[in-house]
Amino acid sequence: MEGNNIIEVRNLCKSFGSLEVLNDINTDFKEKEVVSIIGPSGGGKSTFLRCLNLLETPTSGQIIFNGVDLCSKKIDINVHRQKIGMVFQHFNLFNNMNVMKNLTIAPMKINGKSREEAEEKALGFLKRMGLEDKVNAYPAQLSGGQKQRIAIVRSLMMEPEVMLFDEPTSALDPEMIGEVLDVIKQLAYDGMTMLIVTHEMRFAREVSDRILFLDGGKIDEDRSADEFFDDPKSPRLISFLKKVL
Amino acid sequence: MGFFEQIAAILQQYTPFFLDGIKNTLIIAALSVVLGAVFGTLMAIMRMCKIKPLRWLATAYIEFVRGTPLMVQLMFIFYGLPMVGIQFPDISWIPNFSRFMAGIVAMSINSCAYVAEVIRSGIQAVDEGQMEAARSIGFKYGESMKLVILPQAIRNILPALGNEFVTVIKESSIVSVIGISDLMYSTNGVIAITYRSLPCLAIAACLYFILTFTGSRLIAVLEKRMKHGRQ
Repeated sequence: MEGNNIIEVRNLCKSFGSLEVLNDINTDFKEKEVVSIIGPSGGGKSTFLRCLNLLETPTSGQIIFNGVDLCSKKIDINVHRQKIGMVFQHFNLFNNMNVMKNLTIAPMKINGKSREEAEEKALGFLKRMGLEDKVNAYPAQLSGGQKQRIAIVRSLMMEPEVMLFDEPTSALDPEMIGEVLDVIKQLAYDGMTMLIVTHEMRFAREVSDRILFLDGGKIDEDRSADEFFDDPKSPRLISFLKKVL
Repeated sequence: MGFFEQIAAILQQYTPFFLDGIKNTLIIAALSVVLGAVFGTLMAIMRMCKIKPLRWLATAYIEFVRGTPLMVQLMFIFYGLPMVGIQFPDISWIPNFSRFMAGIVAMSINSCAYVAEVIRSGIQAVDEGQMEAARSIGFKYGESMKLVILPQAIRNILPALGNEFVTVIKESSIVSVIGISDLMYSTNGVIAITYRSLPCLAIAACLYFILTFTGSRLIAVLEKRMKHGRQ
C-alpha cells in the first residue's frame, strides 16, 4: 500500500481513573487505506477510535493528523474534526432537525456554504441511496438502517479526509445491516480512508486492506486482511477467531 | 342559612376582595417564576460549568434552598434583610411595595433553586450522543449547545417549568403571613369581617383550584403543540 500517512499514532495511552484502557499504541494509517479494528469487548477498540478525533482526551501520546499533533494545546481541534468524519453505533442524528437540516447544518454553519449549494449536494447523496423521499422526515420516523446511512451522509457532507466508524451496524436489526455495509463498501471502492470498529468478520475481510486486533489495550496483531484470518499468529487472536467464526 | 347560600351571600358582598387577592397572587407568582427562571438558568449553568468553586456554590445554594422551608426563607428575607441594612424602598404608586418585594424576593430565591434543577435535568436528559455527534462534526461547544442540545432540552424543560408556575401559585399563599394582600390574605380579611371561616376557605380553595387547573391545562396544550411541531 503506497501513500502518505494521514494519521500517525504515537505512544497513545488512555486511562479512566485507575483503569488502563489503551497502553502504548503505535500505528500509522495511510491515505485511501481501509483498516478494520477487531477485538473482544472492553479491549479498547471504541476508546481508540474516539481518541483519534479527541472525543476522548488521551492520557499521553500523540495523534498526528496530516502532520499536526491533535493533542497539542495550541491547535483548534474543531477545525481538524471537520476533516475527520465519525459514524456512531447509535447514529446520533440530530433529533430536533429533519433529514435535510441534519445534512446541511454543518456545511452551512461551519463552512459557510449557501443553502442552495448544501441542499443540492445533500439531495445528490440521498438520491444515490434511494432516500430522497425522506428529506423532510425526522430521525424518529426512520428505520435504524436509514438513520445510519443518513448519519454517514452527514459526515460525507463535510468532505472528510478520513472516516471513523464505531460499530456502525451493532445497533441494527439483522435485515438492515446489509444496506449500511453496502454504503461503506461503496465508500471503500471510491477510495475513502476509513477506520472501522466492527464485529462483522466477513465484511472486515472483504473491505479491509489491514486489520488490527486490539486486546487488553494493545495491538496484538496487525496484518493484511487475508493473513489476519488465514494465518493468525497471536494465541489470543487464534482463540478469539475460534469463538467468533 | 345553608352552606351554599352563605357562600353566595359572601360572594355577593366581597367579590372585589377576592379579585384583588387573585390579582396580587398572580403578580407575585408571575414575577417569582420569571425571576426564578432567569436566575435559575444562571444557577443551572453554574452547576454544570467546569469551574469547581462556581459549581460548589451553585450546588450548595440549590441544596440549601430546597432543604429549608419556604416559610423560614420568607421570614429571613422579610425580617433579616432590613436588619443588615437592606431595605426595599416604598414606591408611592404600588401600595406596600417593600412588603411586596420581600415576598417576591423570597419566592424567587426559592423558585430559582427548583428551576435550576428543572433546567439541569432537562439538559442532561438529552442523549450524550447528540453532543458527541455535534462536536465530532466540528461544531464548538457553544454552537452544539445552541443548535442541538438546547432545542431538545426545551422540550423537557417547558412542561416542568409550567408545573413550577402552578406550584408557585399555591405556595405563594404563604406570603400572607407577612401581610401581603394576596388571595389568602384577602380570604382571612373576609373571615375576620364575616366570622364565616368555612365558606370563605371554600371560596379560596375553589379560586386557587381555578388558577392552577387553568394553568396546568394551558401547559398541556402547549406540550401537545410542541410534540406536533416536531414530528
